[in-house]
Amino acid sequence: MLFSVLIYASEDFIDALPPEELATVYQKHGAFHEHTKTNNSFAVATKLMSTGTSVTINKDKDDFIVTDGPFAETKEQFMGFYVIDCPTLEDAIEAVKILPLDHGRIEIRPVEFFEGADFKNAERLVISAS
Amino acid sequence: MPSAWLSAHLRAARPRVLAALNRVFGDIDLAEDAFQDASLKALKAWSPDRMPADPVAWLIIAGRNAGIDTLRKRKKETLTAPDDLEPLPEGPHPEDELTQSLDHAVYRDDILRLLFTCCHPVLRRDQQIALSLKIVAGLAVEEIARAFLVQAKTMEQRITRAKKRLQAAKLSYEEPDRTARAERLSAVANAIYLIFNEGYAASQGEELIREPLCEEAIRLARLIVRLFPEEPELRGLLALCLIQHSRRKARLSRSGAAVTLEDQDRSLWDRKLIAEGNILLEAALRKARPGPFQIEAAIASTHTQAATYATTDWVEIDRLYRALEHIRPSPVVALNRAVVQAKLNGAQAGLCRLEQLAGSLERYPNFHVVRATFLEELGLAEEAQAAYRKALEFAGTNVDRDHIRRKMKVSGGQ
Repeated sequence: MLFSVLIYASEDFIDALPPEELATVYQKHGAFHEHTKTNNSFAVATKLMSTGTSVTINKDKDDFIVTDGPFAETKEQFMGFYVIDCPTLEDAIEAVKILPLDHGRIEIRPVEFFEGADFKNAERLVISAS
Repeated sequence: MPSAWLSAHLRAARPRVLAALNRVFGDIDLAEDAFQDASLKALKAWSPDRMPADPVAWLIIAGRNAGIDTLRKRKKETLTAPDDLEPLPEGPHPEDELTQSLDHAVYRDDILRLLFTCCHPVLRRDQQIALSLKIVAGLAVEEIARAFLVQAKTMEQRITRAKKRLQAAKLSYEEPDRTARAERLSAVANAIYLIFNEGYAASQGEELIREPLCEEAIRLARLIVRLFPEEPELRGLLALCLIQHSRRKARLSRSGAAVTLEDQDRSLWDRKLIAEGNILLEAALRKARPGPFQIEAAIASTHTQAATYATTDWVEIDRLYRALEHIRPSPVVALNRAVVQAKLNGAQAGLCRLEQLAGSLERYPNFHVVRATFLEELGLAEEAQAAYRKALEFAGTNVDRDHIRRKMKVSGGQ
């Protein structure tokens, strides 16, 4: 079963973390990578750039409207996600416990359909939800 | 609770909380003290398992009540405090209600007012930098003093004088109209860039780069971009800071000597920051409202697109400098354009442009370095040495002096 692991945190908080604390956050992500790659459950890791880089696109009748930034300011921002292939939800939960959870929150949501590109090998990667 | 973790929460909340308290009290000093009190309360009340749903709102309420206490005490002494401020209950989640009323628009104008207060035009540049770092970024006076290589006492005085000057100016706390908001944003962007530049090219001391200052500036720029994503100049500012900062490792040799763009190992450039800077710039340029920060970011971005110095797109860079000269002319911009012109049309063309700048840039070491390189290229070795000596006379840091001496040696040895 494919699970997405959706990570939310406050960008203000992440920006305010001293380098040593930030290093421990990354260490935990490193441990998650190692764990999921060792047991072959790793599929995707995506870290998003700051919300300052984003634009939001809407449609108003026949016009596309591109506004800058996220639509509304929220206390927590969507920071990135993993996709992991685990036999059960329980396994996914166990894996996610490795990630930094002192701040923000992590949502696990099963994937219905997944198709992506294997950039390195320039191949299409298709994983069926089963 | 790990104290680093708690202090990161306080640091993250600081601009918003102080901005709200500054609006409530109309007094930056009182707001700062109130924030201090609120932080002490948070130290006792917060833990990773017991965090308020909205730390910012929690701190605003605690700070507001602390400030009212102070005003009441003062009132007993002077009878001048306002009566219309009532403390709010401090139950387990008193912030819930407040959060509803503190919408995005209020935060935006509050923070803009706070930042604008710190870099108000009545203040000198060094005062603007010191106040922004102290009040908005929350750096300790000692830290700021260290960054500027002055005694803590001197920095303390600088900040006190700046605050007095602000009080004397009797700032207005009205909502800004569109023009006023644009002016404020531009003043704030300039102040953030001043902080960045002070870290990027330290004007005094042993080190060339003071990373903490660059990082604080980037943090402030990120904050303001998040609040005003629709302002292309702010995105341009952040893009510029990120791209300049991406070169930090390549700009210093192992021995701490300065390495110019030409000689930098481009594999040391931080590609992550460059990618973020480039996309911010692209998003900004979509608005078709160019400004100096966007153009400077575009120049920096053009450099990042060349695999080697030799393949730099000088035509594009010349075009961008021409645009910059048009909307924000300055002798330093003209100097940079002269360098580009020399690349395109030879050292003599560059030298001709320099002649007109000699008056305004006489005390600027880089002017003499550039002049020396042109003279060298034209085979005028003695005049080049004289220009290097001039540069040495005005160089402010040891790193700068070493860099000039090295160039001098190479040039003299030819």
